[in-house]
Amino acid sequence: MSVIAPKFKLSEFIKSLLDNIFWIILILVLIGLPAVMMILFVIEMPVIDGELLTPFLAFTWMADPTRILPVVHAFMATDIFRVMAFPGFGFAALLAAATIFVERKMLAKLQLRVGPFYCGKFEGILQLMGDGLKLISKEIIIPAKADKPIFWAAPVLFVAAAAAFVAFIPVAPGWVVADVEMGLLGVFAVIGFFPIITILSAWSANSKFPFIGGIRALFQMVSFEIPLILSLLGVVMLTGSLNLSEIAASQSSFPWIVFLPVGAIVFFITMLAELERIPFDLPEAESEIVAGWLTELSGMMYGLVQLGTYLKLYAFAALFVVLFLGGWNGPMVVPPFPVEILEGIEMGPITVGPFPGLPLFTQEMLNGTLWFVLKTAGIIFFILLPRGVFPRIRVDMLLNLGWSKLIGLSFVNIFIALGLLYAGVLGPGGLQ
Amino acid sequence: MVGELAGNYSTVVLMFGFAIVAMAPALVISRMISPRKRSNPVKFLPMECGQVPTGEGRTHFMMQYYPYILMFVVFDVMAIFLYAWGSALLEIPKMATLPMMGFLAIMFGAMAFALYQSGRRRIW
Repeated sequence: MSVIAPKFKLSEFIKSLLDNIFWIILILVLIGLPAVMMILFVIEMPVIDGELLTPFLAFTWMADPTRILPVVHAFMATDIFRVMAFPGFGFAALLAAATIFVERKMLAKLQLRVGPFYCGKFEGILQLMGDGLKLISKEIIIPAKADKPIFWAAPVLFVAAAAAFVAFIPVAPGWVVADVEMGLLGVFAVIGFFPIITILSAWSANSKFPFIGGIRALFQMVSFEIPLILSLLGVVMLTGSLNLSEIAASQSSFPWIVFLPVGAIVFFITMLAELERIPFDLPEAESEIVAGWLTELSGMMYGLVQLGTYLKLYAFAALFVVLFLGGWNGPMVVPPFPVEILEGIEMGPITVGPFPGLPLFTQEMLNGTLWFVLKTAGIIFFILLPRGVFPRIRVDMLLNLGWSKLIGLSFVNIFIALGLLYAGVLGPGGLQ
Repeated sequence: MVGELAGNYSTVVLMFGFAIVAMAPALVISRMISPRKRSNPVKFLPMECGQVPTGEGRTHFMMQYYPYILMFVVFDVMAIFLYAWGSALLEIPKMATLPMMGFLAIMFGAMAFALYQSGRRRIW
């Protein structure tokens, strides 16, 4: 017979517990509090209600949870929050994770399967978490003659490049990580990194299947880059700006897909090719070349590449929404923030509030985010759908499609935009 | 002025760096908690469907892509020229579009010839 702890004594257990508490308090007082004080004195504190936020004031606010709202409000205006959480990495990773689950479930339904079912109480909703735990606890096997530093760095760089792509996407008015003048050209520059990272990963693995897959990925991405760039020129001509926020704001009355359907279709097809999705998944053709350029990636490295792929998918869908579907524009459906809470609630003799800094998000921002997420989810659905429907096409068909048909159609789109502009339908003097 | 313009892009670099800082620990943690058994050298051979791999992993490989690469070099530059024209289209006079049309006509001729040559597989 075995017991869990054979020499267990309650008195010693309590003593060890008290010991731990003593050391925690000691370390917190001697190191933790001075460190917090130093940080609070070094960083630039916000001015709230005409009063500079001193460290002392910050601590009094931390004692009362409702008074911490102004601090949160000031924090949300910083670059750190934007990069880490809302329009940046956290938001995109959340949508990417949702995409992975929806794809598995939807594909299963299309093929009359059940899909993830057992993990979690409801329809296998915890499957993704289980997969993550599995991947992180698996052994990473690296081929013997691989170029190790590059092979380790490639998955991380892939995620980082996808994150840099996400940085350009405006989610709501004013809510964008990098609001730059040449936003669209920046997007093209970031897209140009993906083939390089892919071919580096494939070449460093020193194996045949990744090598062939990497070369396929390289020429597929490179040859579809030109129709991708040309199909967006019509939007730029009509808007007269390369800033993605301005392009989204210019579609307040009608989205550009109404006037430029040809460009939208061309961009959608090139999007599928850049994302290596069926019917253009030649770089990962699992029935021909094992898993293409992902063959030698194992464990968490494969997990990171998957995360990067789905971040990229979200970013492309969001770019389509911003350029052709009007971004955050949509009818106002979010109700305004209740005024009673802002002015303070009277409950008999007591008045609670007013709460400083309470509307954490404005009504426009919530509404814009809602419409943006709805449209992006729709586009992601249309990106996922061909996987259950189409077979994979041959490489010469792919090249013929990209070089002859899509480039021709994108020039047709440019001439449509030029005609609309010079006929006076759009632009100065026309609609809008 | 130039520094200010470049400074706007610092958030993109910040995002790139944040993704590296957030994702590299996943590999490190995975390396720490996962088993590492180096008992069998066959395990570290490159994947070749169960066979012992033969030959080199990195070889010369004829992808027959050379004409397309040349075309990419030409037409990528052309696309960026078109962006310079397209983003300023609302401000320039309408007659300024005519030289652009001439440029496009020349490029169309060049592209048709290049596509014709890339279709003649026997000369590759």
